[in-house]
Amino acid sequence: MYPLLKKFSRLAFASVLAALSISTVSAKEITLLNVSYDPTRELYGEYNKAFAKYWKAKTGDTVTIEQSHGGSGKQARAVIDGLPADVVTLALAYDIDAIAVHELVPKDWQQKLPDQSTPYTSTIVLLVRKGNPKGIKDWDDLVKPGVAVITPNPKTSGGARWNYLAAWAYANKKFGGNEEKNKEFIKALFKNVPVLDTGARGATTTFVQHGLGDVFISWENEAFLAQKEFPGKFEIVTPSLSILAEPPVAVVEKNASKKGVTDVANEYLKYLYSAEGQDIAGKNFYRPRDQKVAAKYTNFKKLDLITINDPLFGGWQKAQKKHFADKALFDQLYVPSNN
Amino acid sequence: MGVQIRKITKTFNKFVALKNVNLDVQPGELLALLGPSGSGKTTLLRIVAGLEFADPGHGQILFHGEDVTYHSAYKRRAGFVFQHYALFQHMNIFENVAFGLRVRPRALRPTEDEIRDRVFTLLKRVQLDHLAKRFPSQLSGGQRQRIALARALAIEPRVLLLDEPFGALDAKVRKELRRWLRQFHEETHLTTLFVTHDQDEAFELADRVAILSEGNIQQIGCPKEIVQHPTNTFVHDFLGLDI
Amino acid sequence: MGAFTNSRALASARHIADPQPTNARTEPVWIRATLIAITFAFLGVFILWPLLTVFHEGFSKGFGFYVETFKDPITIKSIELTLLTAAIAVPLNTVFGLAAAWALTRFKFRGRQLLIALIDLPLWVSPVIGGLIYILLFGRHGTIGPWLMDHNIQIVFALPGIVLATTFVTFPFVARSLIPLMEAQGHAEEEAALTLGANGWQVFFRITLPKVKWGLLYGIILCNARAMGEFGAVSVVSGHIRGKTNTMPLHIEILYNEYQFAAAFAVASLLSLLALITLFLKTYSESRTAQQLREAQELTIVSK
Repeated sequence: MYPLLKKFSRLAFASVLAALSISTVSAKEITLLNVSYDPTRELYGEYNKAFAKYWKAKTGDTVTIEQSHGGSGKQARAVIDGLPADVVTLALAYDIDAIAVHELVPKDWQQKLPDQSTPYTSTIVLLVRKGNPKGIKDWDDLVKPGVAVITPNPKTSGGARWNYLAAWAYANKKFGGNEEKNKEFIKALFKNVPVLDTGARGATTTFVQHGLGDVFISWENEAFLAQKEFPGKFEIVTPSLSILAEPPVAVVEKNASKKGVTDVANEYLKYLYSAEGQDIAGKNFYRPRDQKVAAKYTNFKKLDLITINDPLFGGWQKAQKKHFADKALFDQLYVPSNN
Repeated sequence: MGVQIRKITKTFNKFVALKNVNLDVQPGELLALLGPSGSGKTTLLRIVAGLEFADPGHGQILFHGEDVTYHSAYKRRAGFVFQHYALFQHMNIFENVAFGLRVRPRALRPTEDEIRDRVFTLLKRVQLDHLAKRFPSQLSGGQRQRIALARALAIEPRVLLLDEPFGALDAKVRKELRRWLRQFHEETHLTTLFVTHDQDEAFELADRVAILSEGNIQQIGCPKEIVQHPTNTFVHDFLGLDI
Repeated sequence: MGAFTNSRALASARHIADPQPTNARTEPVWIRATLIAITFAFLGVFILWPLLTVFHEGFSKGFGFYVETFKDPITIKSIELTLLTAAIAVPLNTVFGLAAAWALTRFKFRGRQLLIALIDLPLWVSPVIGGLIYILLFGRHGTIGPWLMDHNIQIVFALPGIVLATTFVTFPFVARSLIPLMEAQGHAEEEAALTLGANGWQVFFRITLPKVKWGLLYGIILCNARAMGEFGAVSVVSGHIRGKTNTMPLHIEILYNEYQFAAAFAVASLLSLLALITLFLKTYSESRTAQQLREAQELTIVSK
């Protein structure tokens, strides 16, 4: 009787120990670094909390996500130079392509997740002051004399490149494909720009806090955010034509695999497409890909949208070469204003 | 305890300051190094002190037979008095004089009481014990030099080296200190080597005088001998002697 | 030659040499008054007013909010990082500055002037370059980058990079403060100490260091102020990882960009407070240093 009891208790003790060690082994502490662009601070602030909760419930592991924000191009450059990002969530595919050139991200990164790895989209709208004193209705009004336009610098800001291309697309439609007229339009628009900030958030501050400019060419989500932070001071004017801004996400596989967190990183990005992820995007003024979730958010107006892959632009590589490279169109057309 | 200077040559860049200088300072004697500016006398004194070194392989310095050629200044126990006093401005007079005793290695360091005694004895000797708490900037030139002397003597040096010690002082103070130094030397017979360009001073104070010019010793001898029998034209002209 | 052994004699000698009385001025009173008024106005507008605005904005949401700002864990981390960076960079530069000043003023060697000029280099280059240097050296594609990657050593975009960049830009302050002082003081006292039996360390700690203490303090204060306030160089190497690689200046920018203006100014007011304390300490130590310099120069005049 007693030897059996002894054996049994030893077995019980061993299995309790085993169970404990298994649970302590699997309750891991994981850290991910998400290198993102400027306007997503609030979005990822909320999303990271949600994901951590989801992941803990699912696997018992505690995941902490560190955030870094800055101009999209600048952040891509930093990742290339060694910033140990596990995932990148940037403003344009062009910036992630640059990282892919250095083999930190696989060359076919954009096909790894649905919708060309863009879980949410945005567009470019026009933000004006309450009452719209200058009567801005569309892109045309931005080239009129006496209208001060705020936009960041397309050479340094991802958002600004979307701005420029949206304006170009509008001009192209208006002038029926006359490239010379397009150039004049862009030239006139940038002539009305008193200050060229390096980043989207900087430009927002210039318009919103410093009170400079009559109209701000803005990411849609930034425009909504400005309205939320400063109720009653601004109005959003939706132009007739704009560009579909698709800020993509990717796992930086070289860094993540070194740390052994590739799986979590993948799940982190995948969760952006889940109902909760899409909902958080919508709440933070990004247009969810999921149409069911998007339907809840009535503040997103319908408008004519062109994408980067439209023949007019032919994708980021072509657009970069034609418009934003050194001595390309922007450099030729931009003359610092004397305002 | 004498000083033997053997075949010292010293070059600064291209300029030869000392050329194969040989000199024996007798134990207990007061020898003056006399010469015009640029003759190399201060350089020679500094080499004896260990503040400069002769060209490698070109000479020896011996303190009573002990080769100190490659010893650093801090090992030589050669008291040095600078022309511009070099008193420690941030310390009071007491601490200045006590310095040499305080920096001794633990084994050889006197107790606080012993230091007090030693310092005050020295200060009394130079008649400045009432200024112990003052700072160098509050003293006159003559007083500062007396403190500098006391400081150098505190370490019980084997040899005393003075670099134009009275050059920065009034004529009257100079005379007083000269007298004082001569008297001190009579009492202690501490081997002393001093540099000067003032021949009156050299002749008045020294047992022997070595006349230098352009890195060479022109003549060594007691003052009377030099005056009566100058060896060459240089000595003759330098001392302004009649034919 | 022996006449000028005390400062009174010196002063009277100066008087003889320069008969123009130094108290009377030739400009009329109103010009003096205007110049003084302009100076105060300038100081008031460009220095005092912005400083007051920082404090005003910081307290614009009330004292309670001001205090709450400093309870935010990310803000606390940024303050810690700033303090840690300064705590490493400043002693490093102090030791280096002392060593460099000592070597440059006590030894004559070829290239001495060039070295003195090089020490000033961080002051001429833009701070951004100060940061870029380290990216070029230690970044993934830098000179030593790949080796570091292989050995899992993270320098840029982490604390070491921030410390390096900060050390670079604050490099010259201690040395520049010490070099003219040590040059003027000369090494006679150090030689005297040697002849009295003091070894190298004793000479350094008992003679050299006490003589330069005010100049040293002045240099350290400047070094510290710059180390805590540096933005450009740190911004380049930081990586801006929230709660990890953002120093106070970087954090202030972030708060500002997040529309948290009161919080941004609250943290800025802390830096401004530091600036004020630094200014006060600097003025005091500067006057003491000037005094030491003057004494040393007077001694030199006396000896000539």
